[in-house]
Amino acid sequence: MTVNDFIRKYLGKVAIKQLMVFLIVIIYTLGNLFSPLIFSFIIDNVIHKKEITSSIFIFIADKFGGIAYLQKNLWLPGLLLFAVNIVVGLCIFLRGKLNSEIAQNMTENMRNDLYNHIQLWPYSALSKSKTGDLIQRCTSDVETIRSFFSGQLAEIVYAVLITLIANIVLFSIDKRLALYSLIMIPIIFIISLYFFKRIQKYFVLYDDTESELTTITQENLANLRVVRAFNREKYEFEKFDKKNKELSKIDFEWINQLGIQWGIGGSLSMAQILVTILIGIFEVVNGKISIGQFSVFISYEGMIIYPVRSLARLLSNMGKMKVAIGRLLEIFNEKTEDLESGKVIDIKGNIVFDHVGFQYEDGNLPVLNDISFKITPGETLAIMGPTGSGKSTLVHLLTRLNDYTSGSIKVDGVELKDIQKKCLRRSIGIVLQEPFLFSKTIYDNIKISQKNADKEKVYRAAKIASVHDVITEFSAGYDTLVGEKGVTLSGGQKQRIAIARTIINECPILIFDDSLSAVDTQTDAAIRKAIKGLSKHCTTIIIAHRISSTQDADHIIVLENGQISQNGNHQELINEDGLYKRIYEIQTAMKEIDDNE
Amino acid sequence: MSNIQFEEKSYNTDSLDLNLWKRILALLGNSKSHLIKLGLFMIMTAAIDVARPYLDKIAIDYFAVGNIKTNEVVLYAVVYIVVIVLNGVLVSGFTRQSAYIESGFLYDIRDRLFEKVQKLSYSYFDKTPTGWIMSRLSSDVGRLAEIFAWSLTDLVWGVAVMIASSVIMLKTNWRLALIVLAIVPILAIVSMWFQIRILRNYRSVRAINSKITNAFNEGITGAKTTKTLVLEDENLKEFKQLTAEYRHKSNQAAYFSSAFMPIVIGLSAISLAFILWYGGNQVLLEKMQFGTLLMFTEYASQFFEPLKSIAGIIAELQMAQASAERVLSLLEEEVEITDTAEVIKKYGTVFDPIKENYPRLKGDVEFEHVDFSYIKDEPILSDFNLKVKAGQSIALVGETGSGKSTIINLICRFYQPTSGRILIDGIDYKQRSLGWLHSNIGYVLQTPTLFTGTIRDNIRYGKFEATDEEIKKAAEMVGADSFINKLENGYDSEVGEQGSKLSTGEKQLISFARAIVANPALFILDEATSSVDTETEKKIQKAIDVILRERTSFIVAHRLSTIVNADKILVIDKGRIVESGKHDELMNKKGYYYRLYINQFNKDLQNKLLGDMEL
Repeated sequence: MTVNDFIRKYLGKVAIKQLMVFLIVIIYTLGNLFSPLIFSFIIDNVIHKKEITSSIFIFIADKFGGIAYLQKNLWLPGLLLFAVNIVVGLCIFLRGKLNSEIAQNMTENMRNDLYNHIQLWPYSALSKSKTGDLIQRCTSDVETIRSFFSGQLAEIVYAVLITLIANIVLFSIDKRLALYSLIMIPIIFIISLYFFKRIQKYFVLYDDTESELTTITQENLANLRVVRAFNREKYEFEKFDKKNKELSKIDFEWINQLGIQWGIGGSLSMAQILVTILIGIFEVVNGKISIGQFSVFISYEGMIIYPVRSLARLLSNMGKMKVAIGRLLEIFNEKTEDLESGKVIDIKGNIVFDHVGFQYEDGNLPVLNDISFKITPGETLAIMGPTGSGKSTLVHLLTRLNDYTSGSIKVDGVELKDIQKKCLRRSIGIVLQEPFLFSKTIYDNIKISQKNADKEKVYRAAKIASVHDVITEFSAGYDTLVGEKGVTLSGGQKQRIAIARTIINECPILIFDDSLSAVDTQTDAAIRKAIKGLSKHCTTIIIAHRISSTQDADHIIVLENGQISQNGNHQELINEDGLYKRIYEIQTAMKEIDDNE
Repeated sequence: MSNIQFEEKSYNTDSLDLNLWKRILALLGNSKSHLIKLGLFMIMTAAIDVARPYLDKIAIDYFAVGNIKTNEVVLYAVVYIVVIVLNGVLVSGFTRQSAYIESGFLYDIRDRLFEKVQKLSYSYFDKTPTGWIMSRLSSDVGRLAEIFAWSLTDLVWGVAVMIASSVIMLKTNWRLALIVLAIVPILAIVSMWFQIRILRNYRSVRAINSKITNAFNEGITGAKTTKTLVLEDENLKEFKQLTAEYRHKSNQAAYFSSAFMPIVIGLSAISLAFILWYGGNQVLLEKMQFGTLLMFTEYASQFFEPLKSIAGIIAELQMAQASAERVLSLLEEEVEITDTAEVIKKYGTVFDPIKENYPRLKGDVEFEHVDFSYIKDEPILSDFNLKVKAGQSIALVGETGSGKSTIINLICRFYQPTSGRILIDGIDYKQRSLGWLHSNIGYVLQTPTLFTGTIRDNIRYGKFEATDEEIKKAAEMVGADSFINKLENGYDSEVGEQGSKLSTGEKQLISFARAIVANPALFILDEATSSVDTETEKKIQKAIDVILRERTSFIVAHRLSTIVNADKILVIDKGRIVESGKHDELMNKKGYYYRLYINQFNKDLQNKLLGDMEL
């Protein structure tokens, strides 16, 4: 997708509204330009009783009953003026309304697409991405695009239109005076552009310095104890003061430059009007134009100058908008996961790993190598091994967060890669090592993948996960909010809530990725017992470091450096030299000391 | 400590609190003279703004009807040019004053706030989130500065323009003037009504917007959970509700603010039409010149601009009241732990110490019947007694919440005993200044954080007068020099924000060097040796042995191997000393310490096999 495709895609949905905005801007421009003409008409033709030369005016005047009638009824042109103003006002309202609708529609669609696209990124892309940068793009880049389409585009059109049409009118009145009226315009534009760029530089500098000052404050607060204990309050204050002064200077310079720009811009604009007045006077005296036409020149001049001055800013914003779109396209150009295609099967829980290997695309060495094992429904497999031996990666393969690069994995006899991802993941309940809870109530967190679950079911899941009593002790109970605005949960509490939200689905396959590490041994045992009681046909995989968690498993695998170094059941492994036996001995010794207490 | 809930006060924003603004105005200090200058500039600018339509009137009424004399035209042009130049100078001038005020006010208030933060007692930070303090220093202060620099500017200008143009209009033609002025009260009421609602609307739009940002954040950080629980569809549905709400609210806000201008234009158009009708007739009757009529139409449309800004300012002041309250509340926060006037007289303050009066600190520390609690009626220490001789190294061991960190907090005087005394070199430490105590303490934290800057800067933080030689020596003593020398720029390598470019172990070693270079009489080590690899741990162990020699030290350690050589190990449980003695004595006792030690030994063994993993 290119930038133009992007604009076409999102603006296309509101194309009619955008066209209407353009139309309204045209009417608005004409309305604005019309008022001075009414004045001119009244001065010249009604008051000074000049003969009407313009056929349009003759037509209009006739409609209103002729000049003589108008002279006696000056309220009529007044009413016309009022009507024109009403039309202009209506245009302002409609333009604001439509522009907002356009921009909001685009923003809504962009944000929805971004959100969905990012959540469908493959796990590998997500784990590589920087959260802060992604959020920055989804918020401030979207905002840049929004503000361009919410009014700046219409402003550019207005600036161009009014300059063009006003000049057509002016040239048709008096070419010489019209030329003189344009004399300063290019200078005004160039000066605005120059200052705009200059001020932008200060703006960037200001931002950088401000964030440096923020860092000083943040570090000061983070190191509070160090600062106090080393008696460095004065030094810290002086450090802050120095940067603060620097920021204050930039702030001053920035606003000061702005003032100079306003001063020069404003004065040049007035100078342009003076030129028009001086030349105009002579044109009037020489009879080349009428007083009414002279007043048109002065009024139009005032209307053109401001849009010209803001054009520099608007054009630069257009550039920024394009850059922002480019940054969003980088997100959209990343491929997404396909959750829908593949076989939908009723998974029972027979799992067969056959010489499975896995290697990252950009990695030199395989993370997993030659992994083979079998589990049948109702059985439990325990995996033990040092950090970095590939335990988590192994279970990631089963849920296809990562895809195995060699060998074969079969679930109920079907090759894993042929099963629909949605179906597969719904059948596998995995409790992650560091569970993430959403900032909702505990209740909503537990039923997050079971929207229709009733209270009974939620409570039951919480009881199985040994967390019901903990939750009811909170003052808000199940309605307690999780996260920043709610309570801070301990690691063990988070793990147990994560277990509850997983087992509520009653999946045929359950995986605990070291997810009982933060709860004590008794609770750990109670949870495992309760889960076993829940379903006798459940296939369970437990990654754990506690012998007490692994000893009842039907099979135990010891993983070292991505390979299976030992396998068997508890009895077999404690009689065999190796990692498992050593861990067993250490933990037994620890237990004895605890029991002696 | 963490169970002390921080409660954000809510502030009233419905009515204008003039008293509050008076207090804020008092903070302006140096900027006051600029504020007066700004006012003068604005009045002059307003005069120019009012004069310009009058100049245009002359061109049409006088010159264009044929009274064209060269010298008069030249005079006119000169006057006009003077006005132009004056306008340029005034606009630049008042902006300059605004710049002075905004930058000066910001600078001043930020400095004051930061200074205050340096003075506040430790307990304040236990109950106030860092983020709260940060936003006082940035967004709230910024908002106030903006009001002084710009909103008040507009207010002065607006009032001046309105008065001046009223005067000119009334003098030129009072009947026409009344037509224009008749619409003003209605415009004022309408503007006020709209401005307040427009601001409110945008505030609620911003609130939804921050919800959307949060949703993006959760979507990205919770992506793995989303995938494993297959929540994609649900998440998107919820997100779409948010974005739809945002669109809806934004559009409503936009309709509202788009309607404001047309209504104002419509209202001014009524007076415009009347001017044209009545004034036109006057011109026809030759009672008035046409230029005058044109001038009136210009004044009529110019009138509305100041009205709009005055309404806007009043609305803004209401909205900014919460910021003002919060800034004042931080500035006026009482400092809990301070030195008495007598002590300050002798030893000075932290910012202005009288160092020549500082007595040498030998290092005897004594707790005498010390009671302490963070929250009333929840005592952490009660009747705690402890005597440490100068040069002893004391290790504190115990579970989280046992009170060992509290003991450290009390020694550092981050907190003071609720009752009882702490004596240093035999004298109650309240009789000497905080500055004196802290200039004699070396401190290393559990989670070491550094400051942006080079490694050298960070070590020198302990002693500013330290030579490069001393810094190097300190680094060598803790065994940090080997990794520092491997870095491309050696001691001049940047450590990144809070030391982010270094590993935890490296940061640890730097913070040791920082403490050593200060050569303090009292050394405090707060759980300093967790989370490093074996090799670094050995280095740190060596460093600690060096540091502990010949100075009083307190160590809070999780790794018991660190404290084997301590002169005295205190096992703390529920605020009491349950066991004390040397390592060997306690091991022979086979009590609490023995169990802790053996258990940790086994854990370490297991961690070596399975990697650094909690059990």
